[in-house]
Amino acid sequence: MSPFDPLREQLASAAAAFGPALVDDVEQALNTDVEIFPVCHHSPASALAMVRRLREKQPRVIYLELCEDLRPVLDELRNCTLPVALQAFASDIDGFPPEWAPLSVIAPITESSAEYQAIAYALDTPGVEIVLVDRSVDHVFQWEPRTGAAADVGIEIGDLRPGFAALEEHLLHHGKVRHWSEWWDQYVEQPLSGADYDTYRQVMTLIGSLFRRLKPEGNGVDEDRERYMWTRMREHLAATGTDPAECLYVCGAFHAVSPVLGEHLDISPRTSTTWLYGLIPASHSAIEDQFGLAPGSISIAAATWRKSVKRTRLTPYKLGGKSARTGPRPGTPAETEDRLSGFLAQPPSLDGFDEAELLGWCVEIVQLARRNGYLASTADAIAVYETSILLAGMRNRKRPTPYDFQDAAVTCIEKDVVPGRRDVRRLCEILLGGDKIGQVGYDSLPPLARDVLDRLQILGLDLSKRTIQRALIDLDARPELEPCSHLLWILRRLLPGDAVRLIMGSRRLGERSHQESWDLAIGRNQRSIIELGYEGVTIEQVLEQRLRRACWDEKATAAGALDAVEDSILYLGGRRLANELGARAVELLAGERTVDDAPDVLRRIRRLLAHCRAAEPELPEWTKSFVTTGYAHYCTLLPTAFVDEETGVRQVGAMLGFLFTMESLALSLGCDQAQLELAIQQSHPETPAKVALLWTARYQLGLLSMAELRERVGELLGNPLVVASVPQYVSGFVQALESAPTLAPFVVEVLSRAFGRLPDSVLLPWLPKLITTLRDQAAELVPMLVREAGRTFPARLADVDSFTPPWLARAPGKPVTPPSSEPVSALLAAHPETGAAVATLLGCTTVAGTRGAVAALLAAHPSTGAAVAEVLTAPAGLQRTSMSAFPSPSDRRARSLMQAGRPNGHPGGLT
Amino acid sequence: MLRAPAEIKYADELDYLESVDTGPKPFSWRLSPRMVRIFVLGSERSDGLDREIPQKWFGDRGFVERSIVTLASDRGLLLIGDPGTGKSWLAELLAAAVSRNSTLVVQGTAGTTEDHIKYSWNVSMVIAKGQSRESMIPSPIMTAMERGVIGRFEELTRSTSDVQDALISILSEKYVSIPELDDDNIVFAQPGFSIIATANSRDRGVNDLSSALKRRFNFVRIPVVTNKKSEAEIVRFRTAELLRRHQIDLELPPTLLDILLQSFADLRTAAASATSDDDKLESALSTAEQIGVLEDAILHSRFFGDNTLKAATLAGSLVGSLARRSPEDLAILNKYLHGVVEPRSKQDEGGPWSEFLSGGREAIATLS
Repeated sequence: MSPFDPLREQLASAAAAFGPALVDDVEQALNTDVEIFPVCHHSPASALAMVRRLREKQPRVIYLELCEDLRPVLDELRNCTLPVALQAFASDIDGFPPEWAPLSVIAPITESSAEYQAIAYALDTPGVEIVLVDRSVDHVFQWEPRTGAAADVGIEIGDLRPGFAALEEHLLHHGKVRHWSEWWDQYVEQPLSGADYDTYRQVMTLIGSLFRRLKPEGNGVDEDRERYMWTRMREHLAATGTDPAECLYVCGAFHAVSPVLGEHLDISPRTSTTWLYGLIPASHSAIEDQFGLAPGSISIAAATWRKSVKRTRLTPYKLGGKSARTGPRPGTPAETEDRLSGFLAQPPSLDGFDEAELLGWCVEIVQLARRNGYLASTADAIAVYETSILLAGMRNRKRPTPYDFQDAAVTCIEKDVVPGRRDVRRLCEILLGGDKIGQVGYDSLPPLARDVLDRLQILGLDLSKRTIQRALIDLDARPELEPCSHLLWILRRLLPGDAVRLIMGSRRLGERSHQESWDLAIGRNQRSIIELGYEGVTIEQVLEQRLRRACWDEKATAAGALDAVEDSILYLGGRRLANELGARAVELLAGERTVDDAPDVLRRIRRLLAHCRAAEPELPEWTKSFVTTGYAHYCTLLPTAFVDEETGVRQVGAMLGFLFTMESLALSLGCDQAQLELAIQQSHPETPAKVALLWTARYQLGLLSMAELRERVGELLGNPLVVASVPQYVSGFVQALESAPTLAPFVVEVLSRAFGRLPDSVLLPWLPKLITTLRDQAAELVPMLVREAGRTFPARLADVDSFTPPWLARAPGKPVTPPSSEPVSALLAAHPETGAAVATLLGCTTVAGTRGAVAALLAAHPSTGAAVAEVLTAPAGLQRTSMSAFPSPSDRRARSLMQAGRPNGHPGGLT
Repeated sequence: MLRAPAEIKYADELDYLESVDTGPKPFSWRLSPRMVRIFVLGSERSDGLDREIPQKWFGDRGFVERSIVTLASDRGLLLIGDPGTGKSWLAELLAAAVSRNSTLVVQGTAGTTEDHIKYSWNVSMVIAKGQSRESMIPSPIMTAMERGVIGRFEELTRSTSDVQDALISILSEKYVSIPELDDDNIVFAQPGFSIIATANSRDRGVNDLSSALKRRFNFVRIPVVTNKKSEAEIVRFRTAELLRRHQIDLELPPTLLDILLQSFADLRTAAASATSDDDKLESALSTAEQIGVLEDAILHSRFFGDNTLKAATLAGSLVGSLARRSPEDLAILNKYLHGVVEPRSKQDEGGPWSEFLSGGREAIATLS
């Protein structure tokens, strides 16, 4: 006995088992009681065979391999331009891992597919029923392995491709083709396009059987699906009593050769996830991308389909068309004959050479290339024609396929590669049909999308077009367009980038535009609008839900919540939602442990307060509570923020800004200023920038005078050991402007002195950094600084020579003697009207002849007079600002007290 | 002969293919297009030949098909690619297969003149007998026209634009006129004549083709081989040939081939991510360069070593052939050795990588 005998036997038995098994599969599939129609996705040959078979057999029931719960959506296909996709969508999931949400299943349908022919036949022929038998979308996810994410599952009818990479490589290598679509086209698609039904069926089942048996990872899920489908079919047959001979079961060739034909499966119940169903537009390129097909293959399939239909003079079924013609009903099917042997023994018989078609392609590609910037001429058209034929000849084909043509065009036309220009390969794809994009008709849209289109109708634009449309809205001339503009603003907030683009106009708190201009690409973004429809019934409801979700999210911040409040006021109006979101913002603020968002919080609450003061009769409760909570919150966090390395200067500056500019309102609402004073006392920052901030805060509280502040800066500049860190002090001072705009002249002074005194080695590296920091972190403070600098420095060249900076002009060391109250009382006595007006404003009754009383009062409290005198004799820049709305430290307290009397008043600094 | 041209080297294969060729042959071609493809890319079982034809050029089948088809059409063929991608080798194979003559070559340089493309005169004969066809020296291109075979033009873009443009009339009118002669003054191209030109994609800026000339060529762009499997195949194939030529009997250890391929792959990745020219090696790191490194190492170990190829020798050759600029290239190689090779050598202690590392270090130390 030879040592190789066992191996020989093993191989022989494998061959014996494998070979006949394929034929057994085919035979079994052909002999079921329900006729099986094997298909392959996006295959024109399948579609042609389907049309022929439907005309001949006129089945009464069609079972289709498609998720059973998608059935109601099929009727809506009537209103659509293909390709579209059936979509099932669930954002609210139950029974699946939460990280899977939202779940989405997409089943694209193209016109050149067998399943569309079956659907169109069934829906348009009276008395014919179509039954979807595949597992429901819920089961698709139930059977999914629970690992990783499972977003956007695509399903296709009849996915037919070797699951065994080595087999695919082998087929491609020996077929002398580049990719799978090309192999399929040459060896299956074309030979089958003219074949009779028996040949078609036998060949498809044979291929299905081959791929099935060579699939490496087993067929567990597939077998379960087949049992599922057969269970549903048997149930339907039993329930309706239909004769199985009048039915047609359309499924992928892979499933036609199942070893579990006719077996039963106990179907598990669905989870309680709520599924929403709809149609979304699809495109050839999207389908190719999702299912890993070669670019252009679906376009080529569509072109082949159109051509075959024309050549065979078949009338395909089309929804809404007049194709439902009833022919004679056939008799019993003929005996099965072996068509396989002949098919397999012969080389693929291809279509004859179509000269006119190739000539057309050649001329068109040259035109297209020229339009895309290539130097192409008629000579190139001739060369492409010749090269295509030669290439096809070399590849053993009588007729150049689109792939040969593509190669020839690349050879003859593409001379150089220019980035950004379409390459010739892409141009060929465009030529052969290009990317076709479907559209869902108005009647099939969800209510939200229809509502949007209805409300935009008044604009008089055709929004179903895929081009960008310009909408001009003159709100003064046509006030009836107001709701329309409002809707566009909401759409802009909800839809992705380019769907609704604002060209002119603005909408901010307290603002409204007179004219607006919009670029609308609604037709192009149909899918996004349809998916909004899964979230709610009206666009306002969707926005409300989104805002709520943003505020109650785990990662929500107070700044985010304030943003949502602003959006709700801008887009939804009404106070209910704003109040609710505002209350949530207070909650979030109180719970925050970091102050990273302080700048945003400050900016937004200022805006909101200003808006409420202007538009509301009184401040809403939540704003009051936000201010008091914020005051206490930031006071508590201030000492830590000053020393914490992680917290930036900008954040601390914003905190101080909040504390000082909201102080009057907070105090009027019952906060205690001692809290702030204590917090400042507890703060001991180490970094220079924060030290500078602390100095300004102390100055604000009156704990440090301007003279002392100046002195400290002078020391810094004079000390060679700390000169290097002066820039950091300056950035601290700049940030302090947030809380004390009165310090602007001082900051200008500091900057000027720094520029003048710092050595070049410190100054030059610092300058670019200063500019970038100012732009990034203090963009809103820069205009103030520039204005102040404009005031300080001479505007004309001639004045420069005689210019002395105000801080040098001041006589040094001259003590301010508190003036007696005499001149003031004299002034007041001479102009009693001012005093009377202030008294009326404060709610006192004017008393005539108050001179004596006033004089007595002033004499009793001379400090007020002294302070006023100080203000009046202060340097020019400082004086002007002090006279503006913002209080200086010494009268700040008095102002706070005045505010306390009038809670709705305008505290300084917020205007 | 130090290096036989392809038609002599593979004469028996060509004879065999010609004897079994039944396909239609364009013009005066010696083989049909399908057989040309088999000659270049090797035969497969499905071709039904009773003798195996080895593969001679490694690359995408599409490029070869498009090149053959272009030769059968009205246009010239221009092969474009980085240096060392096998353009000239493909051109030679095609010329040998189509017309059994791959030696009608014009080398394009800055000094190439129109005479090299058209014709020149044998001065002493002109003085003795006057201008006639006998005293004329035809260029390789003109010879190819007269015989109806393939002429080759290497490095087309290295020659100046006016010289290039002399090709325009040859490619479109397919004749060259000799105004100096009174009669018999036109040389017509015989059927089967075509031109295969090659151009470096790196030098395209030197003398870019005029659009009139571009129109008369079909461009086939040949990329650098990055597929490791086929690259190993090419290196092995070419090295075997070189060893035969030098009559060296030396075993090429597979681990060393792996090291060579891996280091080139690493250096290519580094070059691709470099931001300036100073950060990448001057060399194009092509397959031909790899073969050069290997050849250098083999010769070194043959004549100055103990006739076995060692990793250290290979590293020395690698550094020696790739370091062209000092200090830029040396710095890059140094970085490569210490950043990539060193960690790898730590993983296989005492293996070929550590030997490679020490050899490389030594070579860099010598050069710097």
